[in-house]
Amino acid sequence: MIPPVIRVDKVTKRFAGHTAVRDLSLDIPKGGIFGLLGPNGAGKSTTIRMMMNIITPDEGKVTLFGGEGTGRELSAKVGYLPEERGLYKKMKVKEQLAFFGETKGISHRDAVKKTAAWLDRLGLHDWTDKKVEDLSKGMQQKVQFIGTLLHEPELVILDEPFSGLDPVNAQVMKDVVVEIARQGRTVLFSTHIMEQAEKMCDRIAIIARGEKIVDGALTDIKREFGHRFVALTFHRNAEAAARVLQDRRLVAKADDYGASAEVELAHGAESDALLHALLQAGVGINRFEVVEPSLQAIFIAKVGHAAATATASGDDR
Amino acid sequence: MNKVWAVIRREFIERVRTRAFLLGTFLFPLFLAAMMVLPALLLTQSSGTRRVVVLDGTESGFGGRVEEALRGIKRGDGPDAPPQYESSVVRATGERLEAVQDSLIARTGLGQKAGPSLSGVLVVTDAGLASGRLQYFGDNAGSPAAMGELQGTIRPLVTRERLEREGVDPMVVMRAIGPVSVATQRVADGKLTGQSGDATFAIAYAMGFILYISLLIYGIQVMTSIVEEKSNRIMEVLASSMTPFQMLLGKIVGVGAVALLQLSIWAGAAYGVTTYRTQLLGLFGVDAAAGSGIAGMIPSLPGSLLVVFLIFFVLGFLLYSAMFAAVGSMCNTVQETQQAQFPVMFLIILGLMTMFALLNDPNSPLVQTLSYVPFWTPFVIPVRYSMAPIPITGLLVSAAVTILGMLAIVWVAARIYRVGILSYGKKASLKDLWRWVRTA
Repeated sequence: MIPPVIRVDKVTKRFAGHTAVRDLSLDIPKGGIFGLLGPNGAGKSTTIRMMMNIITPDEGKVTLFGGEGTGRELSAKVGYLPEERGLYKKMKVKEQLAFFGETKGISHRDAVKKTAAWLDRLGLHDWTDKKVEDLSKGMQQKVQFIGTLLHEPELVILDEPFSGLDPVNAQVMKDVVVEIARQGRTVLFSTHIMEQAEKMCDRIAIIARGEKIVDGALTDIKREFGHRFVALTFHRNAEAAARVLQDRRLVAKADDYGASAEVELAHGAESDALLHALLQAGVGINRFEVVEPSLQAIFIAKVGHAAATATASGDDR
Repeated sequence: MNKVWAVIRREFIERVRTRAFLLGTFLFPLFLAAMMVLPALLLTQSSGTRRVVVLDGTESGFGGRVEEALRGIKRGDGPDAPPQYESSVVRATGERLEAVQDSLIARTGLGQKAGPSLSGVLVVTDAGLASGRLQYFGDNAGSPAAMGELQGTIRPLVTRERLEREGVDPMVVMRAIGPVSVATQRVADGKLTGQSGDATFAIAYAMGFILYISLLIYGIQVMTSIVEEKSNRIMEVLASSMTPFQMLLGKIVGVGAVALLQLSIWAGAAYGVTTYRTQLLGLFGVDAAAGSGIAGMIPSLPGSLLVVFLIFFVLGFLLYSAMFAAVGSMCNTVQETQQAQFPVMFLIILGLMTMFALLNDPNSPLVQTLSYVPFWTPFVIPVRYSMAPIPITGLLVSAAVTILGMLAIVWVAARIYRVGILSYGKKASLKDLWRWVRTA
């Protein structure tokens, strides 16, 4: 079995006044996009910093790549975009990026070459020789993003990568992230915006107040959560449809309006199975739309509305 | 190791490129050259040959001797330096004296416009000789240098004249009051070094000051740049790819290299300016013989002393900049550092002050003790070495103590730095610092 790229094992981290992360365990498998979700102050950044070995856990252990070393020792294989962006304001863009590349362990010449390619790709070509302080905030963020990816890391950890970006730039960054995942590399990113994670992630973990609420593949999470609805409209054989909808293995509840129905799928049931059953019964279907619960809804259901919107980082329990 | 190199190179290149560095580095040699050329230039060009009339009202013709002495004065030191005065004697006694004096004064200080003008009139009378009050009327009477020279020339002549009038042989008196001096020579390891005491004093003084200034300029640069990296939040990016120790090492060595570069450019400039003094002065059309400038003030630096100085300079720089780095890492703003840096500044200023104590008595017990305290060895040892011999074992022990102390302080500073660079918010208290040092 392939070891997980990141294993967080029963990790606890306390700061002066409060516990930021409590007994957290996570496995991030190789490949794909992993979303670390939670409201502000949930402990996402603290968890990521422990993954990067910038801070050490009080209890428990974080291992990367099956325990070859810490995030810092493996920095050649890991790209990290911190939540607080940081660049040398007085440095030229290309020199700044070459320096970042070197600190990750690639040669100066290599770093210079790759910098040029990335600046072209993200449309910053004309800014190569400008000082960082002359760039707009969005451009600076792109520069920082390039600095994270320059050394072609196997694992990319992005802490709130899309915050503060306009839609166009967010789109550009999203494309890059998706491409990295397609190449078989692993991306972990944190966000407090559920909709974004929902669209991009294969797997997610939701944490709140330093504790894990749920984690796993997005589809599994949704299935286990239940509350999946199917909107049905049929034009033929409504009686057969009504019979199928009686099947409690598939359907938890159904509002039958004769020509249409709103169906809540049974816990653990596949929507495919319902569709199959309906077709076999000879029901003529006009519309079969699976309405899945949003991550936001799952999240609120799991942690309560108050926790989902909590913003205070220092709230102790 | 490559990462440390990357940091060193970044620090070095970014700093050397700043306007402040370029200005500071290249203005100093210019300043030095100006110090060399200007006095000489002023000496030759400020006042041309002065036309002075000695109005002799004495019976003995004393004015003639004064005039002769003035004619002997040259501008500058060389054998073919031009004469300072173009002098002549006018004799006038009794009632005529005042009339002649008035007519001469009327021809004084006319500038270029009205034919031959006089610079000044020196009036010598018997009454003046007796009272010791001679009179000079001139356009340059306001120049202390010119008046000092004039008085210096006249004074021995007057003394001699008075002695003769009293019937004393002036030669006897001259011999009796001839100058007495103690020539000082430094002895090290039972051998003459060929250096005078004054010269080593100057070197010792300069070295202490160079260390002091460098620590202030570059130590504080280390500190403020760490605060900036913290407030830019660039620390976290760096901390994810390097150990805090690598970051600290790279920064201190990078800044230290800039300091050494600047110091060597300055030292090279000083050396060049003194060595090529003649050519330099020639560029400005000044005869090399004119004006000794500051050349004579820069003594030669013995090689062994330079080595001792460099070793202790580097050790001192590492020690103090590590402390500055720790201070920088525990603060969030440059303003906060003002207060937090005080203990470090205190140690440095104390170091400078021990140097003054040292200059009084290089072998006092206090100095002996301080030779083994890491904070102050960088100040004490080179200065002591330049003034009085230190046995080689003593030197080695001091160096060893300093290295150990430096390592200990760097270790503590690195531990503070390690935690400090990622702590934001409240400035760290002493208790916090202690906790940071202890945590693994």
